[in-house]
This record gives sequence, C-alpha cells and structure tokens, in this order.
Amino acid sequence: MREKEKERKEEISKMDVVTQMQRQLIQYTSSLFQEGFLDDQFNQLQQLQDESNPEFVVEIVTLFFEDAERLLNELSKSLQVEQESIDFRKVDAQVHQLKGSSSSIGAQRVQRVCIAFRNFCEQQNVEGCLKSLQEIKQEYSLVKTKLETLFKMEKQLFAARGSISR
Amino acid sequence: MATTKFRHVFGGLWGFATSCKKNSSTPIGSRILQRDVEKEEFQYASILCLSKYYSVFVVRLAIMVMLAILIGLLTILTWHFTKIYTTKSLNSLAYDLRYELLQRPILRMWNILNSTSEITMAQVKLSQYVIRSHGNLTTQENQVEQMYEAMRAVTWALFASRKALNSITVKYNNGFVQAFHRDLKDNNTFYIYSDLANYSIGASASSYNSDINYSSLSSQESWNDHDNKSAVWYRQPLDPVTGEKIGKAMQIAPEDSIHIAGLSQVPDGVASWRVVVSKFTDSPLLSAALPVWDASNKSIVAVVGVTTALYSVGQLMKELVELHSGHMYLTSLEGYLLATSTDVPLLTNSTKPPKLKMAVDCENEVIRLGAEYLKKSSGNKFPPSHEVHVANVRLGHDRYYIDSFFLNLKRLPMVGVIIIPRKHILGQEDKRAFKTLVILISASMCIIVIGWVCILILTNGVSKEMKLRAELISQLEARRKAEASSNYKSQFLANMSHELRTPMAAIIGLLDILMSDDCLTNEQCATVTQIRKCSTALLRLLNNILDLSKVESGKLVLEDAEFDLGRELEGLVDMFSVQCMNHSVETVLDLSDDMPKLVRGDSARVVQIFANLINNSIKFTPSGHIILRGWFENPNPCSDNANHLMEEKNLQCAQKTRTRQHENHAKRTSKRDNKAILWFEVDDTGCGIDPSKWDSVFESFEQADPSTTRLHGGTGLGLCIVRSLVNKMGGEIKVVKKEGPGTLMRLYLRLDTAGDATEQHCLVDIANNGLVVLLALHGNMGRSITSKWLQKNGVFTMEASEWNGLTQILRELFHTRNSAGINNDFDLHYPIHESLKSKLLSIQEIKNPVFVIAVDIGLLDLSTDIWKEQLNFLHRYVGRAKFIWVLNHDTSNTIKMELRRKGYMMTVNKPLYKAKIVHILEEVVKERNHEMQKKNMDELHESDYTHCDAASSDDSDISESGPCNPVKSEKVEQFHRLSLYRINNCLIGLTDEHSEANNTPKKEELCQNNQNSPKSLSLEQDYFPREAHQGEDSESRGKEEHRIIGGSARPVNGKKSLEGLRILLAEDTPVIQRVATIMLEKMGASVVAVGDGQAAVDALNGLLGVEDFRRDSNLNERNTRSSSSQTEILSFPSYDLVLMDCQMPKMDGYEATKAIRKSEVGSGVHIPIVALTAHAMSCDEAKCLEVGMDAYLTKPIDFKLMESTILSLTRRTIS
Repeated sequence: MREKEKERKEEISKMDVVTQMQRQLIQYTSSLFQEGFLDDQFNQLQQLQDESNPEFVVEIVTLFFEDAERLLNELSKSLQVEQESIDFRKVDAQVHQLKGSSSSIGAQRVQRVCIAFRNFCEQQNVEGCLKSLQEIKQEYSLVKTKLETLFKMEKQLFAARGSISR
Repeated sequence: MATTKFRHVFGGLWGFATSCKKNSSTPIGSRILQRDVEKEEFQYASILCLSKYYSVFVVRLAIMVMLAILIGLLTILTWHFTKIYTTKSLNSLAYDLRYELLQRPILRMWNILNSTSEITMAQVKLSQYVIRSHGNLTTQENQVEQMYEAMRAVTWALFASRKALNSITVKYNNGFVQAFHRDLKDNNTFYIYSDLANYSIGASASSYNSDINYSSLSSQESWNDHDNKSAVWYRQPLDPVTGEKIGKAMQIAPEDSIHIAGLSQVPDGVASWRVVVSKFTDSPLLSAALPVWDASNKSIVAVVGVTTALYSVGQLMKELVELHSGHMYLTSLEGYLLATSTDVPLLTNSTKPPKLKMAVDCENEVIRLGAEYLKKSSGNKFPPSHEVHVANVRLGHDRYYIDSFFLNLKRLPMVGVIIIPRKHILGQEDKRAFKTLVILISASMCIIVIGWVCILILTNGVSKEMKLRAELISQLEARRKAEASSNYKSQFLANMSHELRTPMAAIIGLLDILMSDDCLTNEQCATVTQIRKCSTALLRLLNNILDLSKVESGKLVLEDAEFDLGRELEGLVDMFSVQCMNHSVETVLDLSDDMPKLVRGDSARVVQIFANLINNSIKFTPSGHIILRGWFENPNPCSDNANHLMEEKNLQCAQKTRTRQHENHAKRTSKRDNKAILWFEVDDTGCGIDPSKWDSVFESFEQADPSTTRLHGGTGLGLCIVRSLVNKMGGEIKVVKKEGPGTLMRLYLRLDTAGDATEQHCLVDIANNGLVVLLALHGNMGRSITSKWLQKNGVFTMEASEWNGLTQILRELFHTRNSAGINNDFDLHYPIHESLKSKLLSIQEIKNPVFVIAVDIGLLDLSTDIWKEQLNFLHRYVGRAKFIWVLNHDTSNTIKMELRRKGYMMTVNKPLYKAKIVHILEEVVKERNHEMQKKNMDELHESDYTHCDAASSDDSDISESGPCNPVKSEKVEQFHRLSLYRINNCLIGLTDEHSEANNTPKKEELCQNNQNSPKSLSLEQDYFPREAHQGEDSESRGKEEHRIIGGSARPVNGKKSLEGLRILLAEDTPVIQRVATIMLEKMGASVVAVGDGQAAVDALNGLLGVEDFRRDSNLNERNTRSSSSQTEILSFPSYDLVLMDCQMPKMDGYEATKAIRKSEVGSGVHIPIVALTAHAMSCDEAKCLEVGMDAYLTKPIDFKLMESTILSLTRRTIS
C-alpha cells in the first residue's frame, strides 16, 4: 500500500513536472510569437506534424538551417568588398530564396530583414546590403538558438511524458 | 536673326543636356536613380520651358525695336529725299526765274542803249550829210543859217520819231548849239538853241581840229565852257507832235540847260557812253556822244549827243519784281545805282548839281543790305563776267536770294542785281517741308509709341502666359506628386491586401481547425464561433475597403470575358436564399426571357454588385420578399403586355423569333456596337430609404439612417462599391420610387453581349405538352412570378398557397374527373372560386394532361407529426401526378428520408427559379415520353436535389454541350478556368459566410462517389459551383438522367480532399518544398518535387511521352523519369496538377510554364499549373496568367487556399 502510495506520489510529482514543463514550453513558444521570431506559419507547420511524420517540424527547421547557412555563406561570398562588381541579381535571387524559406517556417524577423535586403539590392546599395547581411546573420543565429531551445524543451517534455506513460 | 541665334543657343543647350542625360542615365539601372533622373529631367524641362519663354519675349522685344527703328529711318529718309529733291528743283527753277527776271531789264537796257546809239549814229550821219550839202558855205551867214535850219529840221524829225529820247543836242564847233529836249515830267518839248555868235565853222573847226589833235583836253574844255558861258541860250517850247514853235523863245542860262554833249565827251573821236544826271529829271540819263566829221573826215564839225532816260528801265524792273515782291537794281561798275525796282530816289538831293547815289547808300533797306552783302562778299573789285548767285542770304529779318549779272557794255559796264525773298519761292516749300517733317516725325513717334504699347501688351500677355505656364508646371508637379503618392497608396494597398488578408485567412483557417476540434467545451466553442464570425466580418470589411480603394485609385481593371449572367445570378440567389429563409424573406429571381445568355464582362464584379445589393436588402428586410429583376433594355418588362405578346409569338415560331430578336437586337445595339444595356432592379419590402437620402446612400460610409448601424451593423461601404462598379461598367444606379414599403434600386449595366446573343429557350419542349403545373408554394411573390412565366410559356398553372387550397384543388382536379359528385359535402365547406372552376374546366379540355405538382415542404405542418398524414394523403395522387418537392435548406433528414422512402425522387431546393423549373419540367416531359415508349419500365427516376441544384445552375451548359456547339462550351470552360482565382478571391467573403450559416446542409450536399466515376467533392464545390459541375457537364446527358446519387449524410473530414491526385511540385527552396509536400500529402495527394523549372518540364515531357506510349501498349504503370531533384522521387503515371514556383534557378516558373504550354499544343492536354510566388502584386498575377498558368498562390502557402485552388482546378480533370 505504501509503496503504491509512493508510486502515486511520484507519479503525481512527475505529472507536475510534466505540466510545468508544458507550461514552460507554451510560455516559451508564446514569447517567441510575441517577440516576433515566429508567426502563424510555424503553427501551420506544427499542424502538419502528425503520426506519419512526427519529426516534421524539426526536419523542416533543420532543412531551413542548412539552406539558410548555405545561402548566407553564398551571400557573404558574393558581397565581399574586394570584389570588383557585385552581381546584384544573384544576390537578389539568393535573398529571395532565403526569404521564401524563412517565411515558410515562419521566421518572420529574418523574412523582414530579407525584404529590406532586397530593397537595398534593388537600389544597388552595397553598404545597405552588407548591413542587412549582418542583420540577417544576427537574426538567423537568434532564431536558430531560440528554435533549438524550443526543440530541446519539446524533447524533454516528450521524454518526460514517455516516462510517465511508461 | 536674333531669333535664329537664340534658337541655335537653346538647341545647343538642349543637345548638351540630352547627351548629359543619356550619359548619366545609361549606367545607372536602378529604379530610384532613374526616378531622380526623371525628376531632373522634369525640372530641366520646366527651366527650359521658362527660358524658352524668356527668349521669345526678348525676340519679340527685339523685333519691335527693330521695326520702330526701321520706321524711323524710313521716315527720315523719305523726308530727306523729298526735301532735297524739291529744294533742288525749286532752286533751279528759282534760278531760272531770277535769271529771266534779270534778263529782261538788261535787255531793256540793252535796247535803250542800242536805240540811243542808233539814233546818235543816225543823227551823226544826217548831220554829216547836211553839213556836206552846205559845204564851204561857212563864211556866208545866210548859208550857215540855212544849214542850221536844215539841221534843225533833220534833228527834229529824228527826235520826233523817238519818243523815248530825252534830248538830242548838236553842238557845232563854232559854239552854236541846237538841241531838242523833251521834258518827261510835264510832257513838254523844247527847242534850245544858242545865240549865233560865230558863223565860221570851218576855221573854228580847223582850230578845233588842231585843238583836238594838239591842245590839251583841259584847254578845250575851257574853250568849250567859255563858249557856253559866253553864249546866250534860248528855249522855245514846241508842239510835241508837229514841232511848230508854239511859244516864245525864252532865254535861259546855259547851266539851266540840258546836258549838251560837247567835244570833251568825244576826246578820241569815237562814240562814248556815260550816265549823266540832269536837274530836270530825278533819274539818271544815258547819254551817248558822237562826233560829226567834216567831208574830208579830218575835223570834227559838231558833236551830237543823245540822252535817254533810264526811267523806263526802272519802271520795267518795278513791274517785273512786283509779282515776286523782290528787288532789282542796276549799278554801274563803280557801284552807282542806275535803276531800281523801287521808287526811292536815285540821286542825292543834298548836293548841287545832283549826283548819282551809290547802291550801298540806297534808301531802300533791302537794296542797301544786298549791296553791302555783295560788296562784303566780293570786295570792291567786282569780278568782271562773274556772276554771283547766293541763296539763303539773311538780309534783315528775311532770307533772300541774291543774284548778280555783269553786263559788259563798252564804256559802260553795268551790274544787275536781283534780290528775291526766299519766302516767295521756297516759302511754301519750306512750310511744307517743315510740316512734312513734323508729320513724319509725329507719325514715326506714333508708330513707336503704338509699337511699345503693343509690346507692352504682348509682353504682358506673354508674362501672363508665362505665369500660367509656371502655374501649370507647378500644378503638373503637384499632380505628379499626387500621382506618385497615390501610386504609393495603391502599392501600399496592394501590399496591404497581402499583409492583411493573409493573417485574416490564417485566423479564419485556424479557427476552423479549432472549431473542428472535439475537445472544446461548449463555452469555448461558442467563443470560437463568435471569433470566427467576427473575423469573417473583418475580412469582408477589409475586402470592401480594398475593393473601394482599388476602384477609386483606378487600379481596378475589369475583366472582359464571356460569362453566363443568368447562371451567376441564380447562384447568387441560391446563396442568399438560405440567409433569407432564416429571415423568413422570400428571394425571387425574375429575369426576362430576352436577357442575353452570354455577356462579356467581369462576372465576379457583376456578382459582387448584386451580392452587395441583395445583402443590403436582406439586412433591412425583416419580412416580405426580395426580387431581383432583370431585363434587356426595356423600361418596364413586367407590365409590358406588348412585350409579352411578342414573346408568346416568339415561342410559336422560333424561326421568326430569331430573326425578329436579331432585328431588335441590331436596332438596339446599332449605336453602340454590340453593347447591350441590361436593366436590373432589386426590390425589397424592407424599411425603405427616405427620399432625401436617395443620393447620399451611395457615398462611402453613408447610411440612410445612422441609427441602423447599431441594429444592422455595416459600414456603408457596400453601396459605394456598387455604385463605383456600376459606373465603371458604364451604367448607373439609383433609388427609384416604389409603391408600398421597401426600396427599389434600379441600375443598368452596359455589357457586351457575346456574339450570338439570340439564345434559344429550351421551353419548346415544355410548351404544348399538356403540362398542368400546380404550384403549391409558400411565397406569394415567387409563386405568382413563376406561374405567370409558365403561363406565358404555354404551361397551364394553378396556384395554392396553403395546405387547404392544395387539397381543394387536388380534389377538384382528380375527384371530379374520376367520380363527379362525390365531393359534395366537401364543396359545401370549401366553395370553389369561379376562377378556379373555369380553370378546371379548361384543364379538362386538355388532352392527355400531365399533372405536375410542386409542393413546398413548408406547406406541411412540420411542427407536429401531422406532416406524415399529409404526406400520405398526397401519396394517393402519386400515380396521377408528378410530385416535385420543394425543400428548404433546413428541411430535416427525417422528412427527406420519408420522401425518398415513398419514392419521390424529384426534390428541389428553394428558391425555385426558372432554370430549375425548366429543368424539372424537361425531366417530367422526358420521363413521360420514356414511359410512353416503355410502359413497363420500373426504373425509378431519381433526382437528387443536389443534382437539380447542379443542373439548374448548369442549365446553360446542358443546352450547350449538345452536339450543336461544343466549341462554345469549351470556350466557356476556358474562361472559367481563367477567372477562377479572381472569383475565388471575390467570393470568399460571401461564400464563407454562406457556408458557415449553412454548415449542416452543405455537408449533406456534398457529392459522393458516383458509380461511374469516383470523385470526391469537398466544401470547395460550393465555392465554385460552376467549376465543380463542369466535370459533370462533360459527361453525356444521357447518363445524367440515370445517375444515382446515393447515401445521405457523409463525413466530410474523414476523407482526404485530394485523394488520388498526383501533383508535380517545382520549388527550389528546400524548406518550402518540404512544407508544400507535407501539406499536399496531408491532403492525400501524391507529390513529386523537383528543384527547378527545367526539371519540371522534363518530368512533364517525359510523362507526355509516357502517356503516348501507354496508349499504344496499354501499359498502366510506369515509373516516372526521375528528376534531378534531391528530395523525393515518386513514380506516377501522370500528373494532375503542377505547382510552380515563379523564381527558380536554371529556368524560372514563367519560362517553364511557357515551355509546358508549348509542348501541349496539339495534344489537347491541358495540365493545370498553379503559380507559387512570394509577390502579392496583381501584376505578378497577370504575368502568371499571361504565360498560361491557371491560378496563383502566394507564399507562405495557405493550407486552405491551396486546397481549394487545387480542387477547383482538378475537378474537371478527375472525371
């Protein structure tokens, strides 16, 4: 009896932990939304995630990270100062891609900077472009850490849940 | 000259500027810099414009100045030349005149001299003769006396013959003097002689001669003088004519005598001339002396002297210059005056004897001055044979001409001077010249002044014009700015449309998801529903505002495509009827039959107009009806009997109709090529609008009664949009006075009728088939309109509005037929109206009638279970009449089940409009024909209301998809496909609401699998009714009849909407690719993703090839050629749809689409391509559609929108 009670208590405490974690996760997510890191597109992504592909969001976001890193590298390469002439069309296309992918995962701050970047591109404003590139990098690293934290939390939650159900 | 110079300079500047511009603009491709350049160019242009006007101004000024100078020069030159020439000619004339004038007195003088000399000569000759004839008689006294007597006679004769002579004297050498003297003053003639002292002529003559030869002159003079003094002289007056002595000789003193020419005057024995003065005359005398020689010619016997007065010369001069008021005088070479034209004395009276005056001492001032002038100018020595001609000499106060001539007579040189006042000759001329000068100068001054005034006026005008231009320029600038700002506005709005609609769509979508969640509590569910409603309203408002701003900024471009107006309106009425029925309001569509079926225009906007109007009406109509009427350029179709008659005739002879309608049509539209005026009325029985507000309701944010906002909500944008759209379509809208309560909005639209506007009604089938329709419908308006229309088309109708009426008519119809007289007691309770009776009678005359009874389910008493009894009652007549059940959207399933159980297959949803009726009646007619052919056919003809619904809105296609014109239907299809996206956008607000309000029945309406062609319809089918049923149309009509649509309620969510679809996704961004893939897969579609446009084209081309191949070899499955894509390669036999990103490496979406469409040419395949783009601008949309894409989705991808778009595009290809 006692043992059972203990188990129950443990379970309850575990449940508490889980709910706490859940709350934390929700808070964190909502803070991300409030601070404008993410928009409803991310929600849509989460909606798309189901039993058939449980890691969908992570997969997509990882894809985004890869894609974005590649694009950022390319961008910084094409925007090197010592370069004689900058192919703005190419830069524009790259930024456009980055904009598309960031908007698809809902990283709207990155997307916003991309829009500004494209404007600079249109004006052929090298300094503006470089500034935007820095901003994008910053935003990107920010969103990356945020998302990674989010996923970590989710994982923890999942693990905690798993332990309960077990 | 100046102008060209200016132009040249400006031209140079311009060229320089343009070259500058070119240089500056070419390397900079950026839009903003180009804008700057444009701005600069604009400013430059304005500066150029201004400078141009300044230059024009300067040029004008210069021209005027030059003109003035020219005129001045011309004037002065003219004056100068005229003056010079006239002066010259006048001068020469005057010279001639003066010369002439002077010549005359000189001639006279000459004459006088001549005659004097002649007479002297004659006297001398005569004296010589007389002396010779008395030769050698000198000593004898009497002989001498005799000789003197002869001399006297001869001399008298000579003297008498010359009246002008003053005197003739003969002085003999012995001192004897004989003289005749004529006193010109008192006209007396005297003979003067001396006392004869010495008769020896010869001795004295010899001495005389020797004296002459040897003695000095002074001695001779003294001799002579002595003689004279010593002699005694007598003067005897004579008769001037006869010479007879008439008086006594008077002794006179020698000094008193006249001047006697003596020997002294002929010192060298030749004739001499001199001017002398005598004390008897006041004028100088000309005297000539000549010696008389003796016979041997050795000694002078006597001296003859002749004196002539110069008085006559002066007289002549006087006469001559009198006319010219000039002066004339003759002087001797020394300057003594001989004759003047004036009366001044020529002799000085102060001295004794009188002496000649010098000209310079003349009493006449002019002469004196002239003489002084001459003396001054030529000195004392007057040049011989030198003439002086001086013009313009100032003597005293006037100017004179002075001319002098030299008359060189032997021993008596003379100078003639003429002084003529200049005034006399050139006075007029001078005056004239002065006048002319004054006139010319004043004229040129005038011209200059006028010129300046003109310049002033002109420049004034120019400056005004310049001011205006400057204003215009500034206004242009302002306008440009305004345009730019409005451009920004529209751009902003276009951006906003995306930015605002996307989150709204997301909100609504997410709310939908939330609502479908089961774990919501009721309270939450209610809240979410409320949120959803609000969101929908907000979206609608947003759409309205965007529409309005779009219209106002002129950005709205109306589509020009063919569409079926009737069908659109039917769809609209269908949609609203649901809402209306909740309000217990009847919605009726009443389109006249002559409405053109197909019109060209923007269907979405037309629908929007009516949607707004009807929405408005519903809002303000708590009960009654809303009628949407439409007719074709006819002011009053409902009460126009003539029109109806015409229509009836039309029905009787279709051929005629066609021609006539064509004629009418031609007449109506001859002015505007093919533009038809379509009139519409939206008539409701609501609260109405105050007449004073009839105009203002169309203003934005204006509502007739502000208080209604609280009651009904709304922003007042709807009618404003309506008016804008109607105006845009070349029409007008206004509120029209109406009888009874409510509002009547009347509008007309100017739409292009499609080429073949003379549509054929399919009513021919219905008419003359012995149809009797009993309309047992609830709504009065709809029923009467339908009934009227049916009667007009040759169908017999009866009407019943409630259950009792229906039963009565049924009894009358069937019981009287079968067994007359049974229903007596019933008749007592329900006496039949006379009109009904006559109708019944006429029905009985119809041969083989077919009864069609349309029963409104609302007639049954649904509140209790009585309806089942009523149903059973009606079921008794099922063999004798066809029943059509008119259902409400909220009719419960039990009733439907019951109806189906009883075998009623003809059900139709309210509202009942023409197309539905036509369709039903056609079905009935066909069924009857069918029955007549196969009497024993047991097959039940089922017709689901959905089917009817579909068919009704599709009825144009039904008639069209017949063998007559398949091309056309295809065309329509094409158009639908194109306008799809637009419709989608446009209707989303309405349909959302509609679907939401109508949630349950909608779900039921969804079609299920057909036996022949498995298909899945989703919610989207109602969004695009036409699109959805397009697929069905492609099926043969025969099938349609026998198609059985089974089942009742279906789960919507259980089924994946895109099940079985194969979709090719061309997207380069891996993230989006992945997201889209998952989304599509979630919807049940199979997805092949490729990384660029080229891969997509390859994939499709490969498949096209595969299809061909499959057709040959019946190979059903074959792996698709794997693209170079990195993610996912699935194998499918073909694709149903392509999702195409617009910006991709290698080949972008536009290029790829073009390539795909190119490859499709000829194969008859049309694969739907949906663009995926991050741009939300309409131009991108246009570009997408232009290259051949079918629809357009914006990133980030909206789940629902994508689903609906894909569904709408794949519907027709599935079947």
